[in-house]
Amino acid sequence: MSKKRIPFLNAAPVTEPAYIPTDEDFVFKENNDISIDKNFASQGYWKGVLVRFFKKKRPTLGLIIVLVIIILALFGPLISGYGNTEIISANVDGRQVTASSISPRVPWIHKLFTGEEYDDPFADHTFIFGTDTVGRDLFTRTCNGARISLLIAFVTIIIDMIIGMSYGLISGYFGGVADATMQRFVEIIYSVPRLVIVSVLATFMPKGVWLVIVALLLTEWIGMSKISRAEMMRMKDQECILASRTLGAKNGRIIFRDVLPNTIGPIITQVMFSIPTAIFTEAFLSFVGVGIVLPQCSVGSLIEDGFNNITTIPYQIIPPIIILALLMLGFNFIGDGLREALSPSIEDM
Amino acid sequence: MAKYILKRLGLAILTIFIITLVLFILVRIMPGNPFPSERMSAEQIAAKRLEMGLDDPIVVQFINYIKNIFVNGSFGKGSSLYNGVPIKSVLPACISNSFRIGGMAILFGTIVGLILGICAALNKNHFLDVFCTVISIIGVCVPSYVFMIYLQYFFSYKITIFPFYFDKNQFLLSAVLPAISLSLFSIATIARFTRNEMVEVMDSDYVLLAQAKGMHGAPLITKHILRNALIPIVTVLAPLIVDLLTGALVVEKIYGINGIGKLMVDAIAGEGIDYNYVLALGIIYSALYTAVMLVVDVVYGLLDPRIRVTAKRG
Amino acid sequence: MKTLKKLLGVALAAAMVMALAACGGGGNSTPSGSGNSGGASGKPVKAMLYTNVMSLDTNLATDGDSFEVIADCIDGLTQMDADGAAVPAIAESWDIENDGTLYTFHLRDDANWSNGTPVTANDFVFAWQRGVLGNEEYGYMFSDIGQIKNAQAIMDGTADVTTLGVTAKDDKTLVVELEVPVSYFESLMYFPTFYPINQEFYEGLEEGTYGTSPDTYLSNGAFVLTDYLPGTASLSLKKNDGYYDAAKVSLSGIEYQVVGSSDNALSAFKNGSLDIVMVNGDQVSAAETDAATKDNIKVTGAGYMWYLSFSQTANNANGYLANANLRLAITNALDREALVDNYVKDGSLATYTCVPPQFAASSTTGEDFSADQTRFADVCSFDAAKAQDYLKKAQEELGVNDFKFTIIYGNNEGDEVAKVAQAIQQQIQDTLPGVTIELSNMTKAERLDKMQNDNYEIALTRWGPDYADPMTYLGMWITNNANNYGFWSNAEYDQLIADCTTGAYVTDYDARWNAMYDAETLVMNEAVIAPLYTKANANIIASNVTGVEFHPVALNRVYKNCIVQ
Repeated sequence: MSKKRIPFLNAAPVTEPAYIPTDEDFVFKENNDISIDKNFASQGYWKGVLVRFFKKKRPTLGLIIVLVIIILALFGPLISGYGNTEIISANVDGRQVTASSISPRVPWIHKLFTGEEYDDPFADHTFIFGTDTVGRDLFTRTCNGARISLLIAFVTIIIDMIIGMSYGLISGYFGGVADATMQRFVEIIYSVPRLVIVSVLATFMPKGVWLVIVALLLTEWIGMSKISRAEMMRMKDQECILASRTLGAKNGRIIFRDVLPNTIGPIITQVMFSIPTAIFTEAFLSFVGVGIVLPQCSVGSLIEDGFNNITTIPYQIIPPIIILALLMLGFNFIGDGLREALSPSIEDM
Repeated sequence: MAKYILKRLGLAILTIFIITLVLFILVRIMPGNPFPSERMSAEQIAAKRLEMGLDDPIVVQFINYIKNIFVNGSFGKGSSLYNGVPIKSVLPACISNSFRIGGMAILFGTIVGLILGICAALNKNHFLDVFCTVISIIGVCVPSYVFMIYLQYFFSYKITIFPFYFDKNQFLLSAVLPAISLSLFSIATIARFTRNEMVEVMDSDYVLLAQAKGMHGAPLITKHILRNALIPIVTVLAPLIVDLLTGALVVEKIYGINGIGKLMVDAIAGEGIDYNYVLALGIIYSALYTAVMLVVDVVYGLLDPRIRVTAKRG
Repeated sequence: MKTLKKLLGVALAAAMVMALAACGGGGNSTPSGSGNSGGASGKPVKAMLYTNVMSLDTNLATDGDSFEVIADCIDGLTQMDADGAAVPAIAESWDIENDGTLYTFHLRDDANWSNGTPVTANDFVFAWQRGVLGNEEYGYMFSDIGQIKNAQAIMDGTADVTTLGVTAKDDKTLVVELEVPVSYFESLMYFPTFYPINQEFYEGLEEGTYGTSPDTYLSNGAFVLTDYLPGTASLSLKKNDGYYDAAKVSLSGIEYQVVGSSDNALSAFKNGSLDIVMVNGDQVSAAETDAATKDNIKVTGAGYMWYLSFSQTANNANGYLANANLRLAITNALDREALVDNYVKDGSLATYTCVPPQFAASSTTGEDFSADQTRFADVCSFDAAKAQDYLKKAQEELGVNDFKFTIIYGNNEGDEVAKVAQAIQQQIQDTLPGVTIELSNMTKAERLDKMQNDNYEIALTRWGPDYADPMTYLGMWITNNANNYGFWSNAEYDQLIADCTTGAYVTDYDARWNAMYDAETLVMNEAVIAPLYTKANANIIASNVTGVEFHPVALNRVYKNCIVQ
């Protein structure tokens, strides 16, 4: 701004050598800060979102929790030193003994407190979370399970959000026949029991993680679409939309630029609930044999395994549930922070 | 409004018909055998398929199926599940159990969820709010069947307040534990949505205006805030209702409840696949869902007059 | 399958007739005294069921739990005593004529249905004719196993149902004609398929409702139904005071509860909600260390054997599994003791023979056919070095170094199955470098479907004995048998089995017994299957409950003599 020449100063012919202003003349003499309005500073929208997001403690905490779990999921198995599918066993008197259902143990801590060593073939092994009924290290499996569950949850949620939101917004915006038809279609898809869809799907696709993801994609977007449709119904006759339309905005702009950002609140809440639903649905799908292929595991399948022995071997179900709860806590904090950061209310300013 | 509801009713029936057709086709593509047997010869199985009409063209099969429903009021009989017994002598008891327990869970879940959500929103960022968040997280992270087993462990095993297994002779007493464990997910969801929606509505201009006009306390909350916040909540409530009414497999299995959740899984993933059960349950499920969605759309209208106007126009 | 069953029936009949004739000849002995105090003032027993009772219709029932409840309510011509032998029930005596092809049963006069009408010979005629006409899963009990005259012809549609070889001479005399002698016919009579149905009562019911509620079911046995619906998770029975043997029944009733999880069953037992439960290996380990339960564990044989079936056709796995050395490599790589010790853990027996132990004893020596589990130690025991040798041979013969196979297993066939599958995967991969195993789980129905259509590589599968003779297993591996899922074919083997069922050995019991060993050797030497373990059930029974009889075949549990103190 300061480097621009001002045309009319040069235009006027003056005989005596005129004073030619230098750049410095256009700089405020006093402290530069004075003119910057911190409250209404012109900063980018996303920068504002970031600032508002990190200004609060809880979203930051949430982000840290989620990041720690992701790091654990990626690198945890390296720490434990056991393989995900490795069955730990020892040879005692010529018979193979597996380390099945061993409660959590860290030998040196045990020795510190009791002064004794464990009295079994696995005395020198460290199992932070114990072992499962087959004889595998639960810590390693929980980390691996978290990895698979996170993958499933993220992929399905993101795609579901895209499909579900577009579908719901379009359906709600156009209303009338289009809406009625689209909603009947949703009812048809939703009404076919998920187990039926999945078993039919399994005849066309190889079993495994991707089958689970596709199965989840087919049904999970519906909740998202319902929410965004409801939001659209609430929004579309409001003054701001009317104003936008009067100014000549096209349908696409109104749907995706004007209404969509306003639906973000309930959508984020819905996403929070879709994550565990996705994780548990994956575990449930093993009923028709399409879940995770053993010996791989997921958080959901670990919870189901633990559930089979919930009173006799109570510690087995705890690690996956805690991981899931922490993940959810983290996501909830992030979600709350995002919602507030994306649509700031006056008191946040 | 009446005309709108009638029109929606007609559409709902059409939808259920289409769903039945889709299901009919899908069920026949599914892997598995309606007559699983290691001991029957190929001829025996062929005779059974013939008797059930499974070798007819699928269109003929479908017409026969629909005819059977309307003319004889029969959904056929079991093949791999309760072989030979008409479905209508098995289903009513299961539906009644699942509906009653599910209904209790919905009632309980909605009331507690709403109260929790409202309290949390009114005390935003204070203790109650955090409490509500934690309850929500526990509610969605811990599956209902895990709650079920702990509830059973503490309230029927450690201290004997409730029966250890479902006992239809003391229905109310033995419905408490499954209803509570099933309702926790709805409590969590409803509380969370109510809280977030209310917080959002409380920030809006018209609430500010209402406050400026001197409104406060209960009238402000019920008339302005809650009414607006409820719309998305009604939306999430609808599928929750359907899910709860249609039973929960594992809870039913643990507590020995004769319900439709377990029936469905047995029909699909039991010894074989029972076409007639899958279809009958599918039809019930879709009828329920369409009915609930119909109610939801009507409730939208009641909650938000603007939608009612649109609905009339459309 | 059909023909096999027929051959087999003939053979068994002929082979065993002499052996059992000694004990048969008109069962006039009274049921072995069980020392019951009698009286109706007893308590009910609360028992766990593993699955829902699928049907109380003797013609439609196919699972052990259903058979058990049916047998609580209805008595057949004979009943099962504690050792599994047949003792008189509705028939108080019988005559055997025409070399064992004509049975005349004399029914007792005091046997009544629970509606007061007497049990007549016509009730049996009606039920059997209905069973033959229906020809459901256990229909072959009438034809192939029972050899009732004309049963097969009626099923094939070439004879009228009235020609079935069962007639009511008068109200209390039932005459049964057989195609050929069936020496174990008396013990068949306690199998539910042969139970009577009251014709008048049945025909008064709406179609399809027989046995769907207490009102639509008649008892002539120790208990009557008081609460039941198809699919119900709990059902109850009370003592039938009109039962002819009511004085010997001590229980006031039975309360069944279907329990979905083994962990839950253990809690229910400790809580006193159930007196008899069945648990899986993990709970056995827990129960063994718990003072409240450690003395109450009772392991009983479940009868069936788990094994690996290899598809030996070119359709699957490039036909590699048709190579006997490759199969021998796999079977030698399996540590069966480790499987039962570490994974099954419920008392199941590691099995090294293709006929499992504990169900088929010789009639002459009384010795269990498979008592000696070391006979095939050379070809079947766990030996890493030998397994690798076999693998090397297979690699040379096939010209392939790396193999990859998928093991299919059912995920609804018991808690331990998935664990066993994972253990097998690890054992094979650890012992045999170059062999990769993948697992694929599915429902049992889908697994059977794949096996029947030869669309699998290796399957973890099981087979339970239908009758107490090694032939119930050995008959599976003859060429073109429907249960020969591996599609193995060996002319010598087929000849041996034919000799045992229809040929040279039919009349010579010991020669037949030895020939069956020869046949088994052929199967084992080529590792047609890899036997794994013979399943046991780990029951936990309350200390105050005695007299429950457990059996590996036919009726799993019999409560007639049970006492609750």
